[in-house]
Amino acid sequence: MEQMKPDVDVYRRRLLAVGAGGAAAGLAGWSPASFAQAAGAKPLPPFAAFKDASRLIVHSSKTLETRRDAFGTSGITDTDILFARNNLETPDASVTANPDVWEIEIDGVTNPRKLNVGDLKRMGLATVSTVLQCSGNGRGFFAHKTSGSQWKVGAAGNTLWSGVPMKALVEELGGVRGGMRYMTSTGGETIPPGLDPKSVMVERSVPWTAMEEAILAWELNGRPIPLAHGGPLRMIIPGYYGVNNVKYVKRVAFTVEETNAHIQSAGYRVRPIGEKGAPTQPSMWEMNLKSFITHPAGDSAPVRAGLVQVHGVAFSGGSPVNAVEVSIDGGKNWHAARFIGPNLGRYAWRDFVLPVRLAPGSYVITSRAIADDGEVQPELRVENHRGYGHNGWRDHAVKVAVS
Amino acid sequence: MRIVLAAGIALLLAPPLAARGDELGRKVFTQIAQPACAICHTLKAAGAVGTVGPSLDELRPDRARVMDAVKNGVGVMPPFAGKLTAEQIEAVVAFVAGAAGGQ
Repeated sequence: MEQMKPDVDVYRRRLLAVGAGGAAAGLAGWSPASFAQAAGAKPLPPFAAFKDASRLIVHSSKTLETRRDAFGTSGITDTDILFARNNLETPDASVTANPDVWEIEIDGVTNPRKLNVGDLKRMGLATVSTVLQCSGNGRGFFAHKTSGSQWKVGAAGNTLWSGVPMKALVEELGGVRGGMRYMTSTGGETIPPGLDPKSVMVERSVPWTAMEEAILAWELNGRPIPLAHGGPLRMIIPGYYGVNNVKYVKRVAFTVEETNAHIQSAGYRVRPIGEKGAPTQPSMWEMNLKSFITHPAGDSAPVRAGLVQVHGVAFSGGSPVNAVEVSIDGGKNWHAARFIGPNLGRYAWRDFVLPVRLAPGSYVITSRAIADDGEVQPELRVENHRGYGHNGWRDHAVKVAVS
Repeated sequence: MRIVLAAGIALLLAPPLAARGDELGRKVFTQIAQPACAICHTLKAAGAVGTVGPSLDELRPDRARVMDAVKNGVGVMPPFAGKLTAEQIEAVVAFVAGAAGGQ
């Protein structure tokens, strides 16, 4: 019966037939990571030691979030403040010593081959700007007790990647074999012995047509990709959630079926609260329409009354952002904001600004993005078990005291 | 002082049972569960240094959270209900919650 459906459903907010299932009772004792953290900021984990701790929130030894007030307005998110989230133990630093010798296997094409990064560099070159965002960005706003990092806004950044377009690479290898429906990328992390590799490995399938815009990247924001962000080689699929952008990629295969690795079959699936993940549920692929305010950030000192430049970022993995509106009264009234800086392409985010004169008092400031196809960023989150895909403007609002 | 004393007495009276539970919990954590918890998790009290899942010393989960994770699984962690006996689950939950500090 599944055959009736077109190849694959791309996850979009409206596809979610997700009801308000009962919260899992067993999680009653859960406490947000942010509480545990309040006692004192954790140090940067070794794999991210080069980052700027003062502009990051360290959730755990594998998860770092950019502070809302740290993004700036230059369009690109500096690598030293870019969020990081690793699923497995980071490979040894030696793999980035000489990126050109890193090997990758390409399969599901007419002439399957093993190539190294040095070879890839001769086959094509492109640079893309895309928002890199964790599927669970905004999880910290959900009311039910979700496990996983309690990200607020900062598991996202706008990044520049350079590498070989998959299209050019595939052409060089004789084209994709007939009947293939997915592009499946496998990470090069070492799986500890004693575990079924499929249970923990990072292997993600996306609709094979994503190949049109995907690149195998070796450069991030002007430098070789650091280990923390997947160097020496990372699959970059513009407009798709972070997990699909497989780090330390060692194999890309065009396949008939989605991988049966747990991270694909049960992980990153949108389902009602309390339900287990399954391959029939929507997968976290294309990112939805979203924006949030980055200044005032809301959690710092009161803002001085007078003229204030309210600014933020807006992005979409689907129909591109066309306009942004800002409200300073919690969504009662909306005002058209103005884009600032260059347009770096449909998958990049755009900074926007609205100058407002604020008298002393308290304000609830938020933004909503509007796409080319007329879609408007929704007010509310869609409840779902793992806290994925949050783009509701109400939860993303900042409370600002002006004096 | 009185609380400390009371706790001391309780400890004196309890050891055989508590120690047995702890012993079993540790064994489930490091050997009996398949895959063993220790392969993926760091927990000082068990001498475990796994890095696939979160460090339990860092996460400090309470009893209810550990129980839910062990029974139902979470993220890539598989459910252990049906794979471990009720006694083994009780033991490993008490051991982890006790050792990791979330009680």
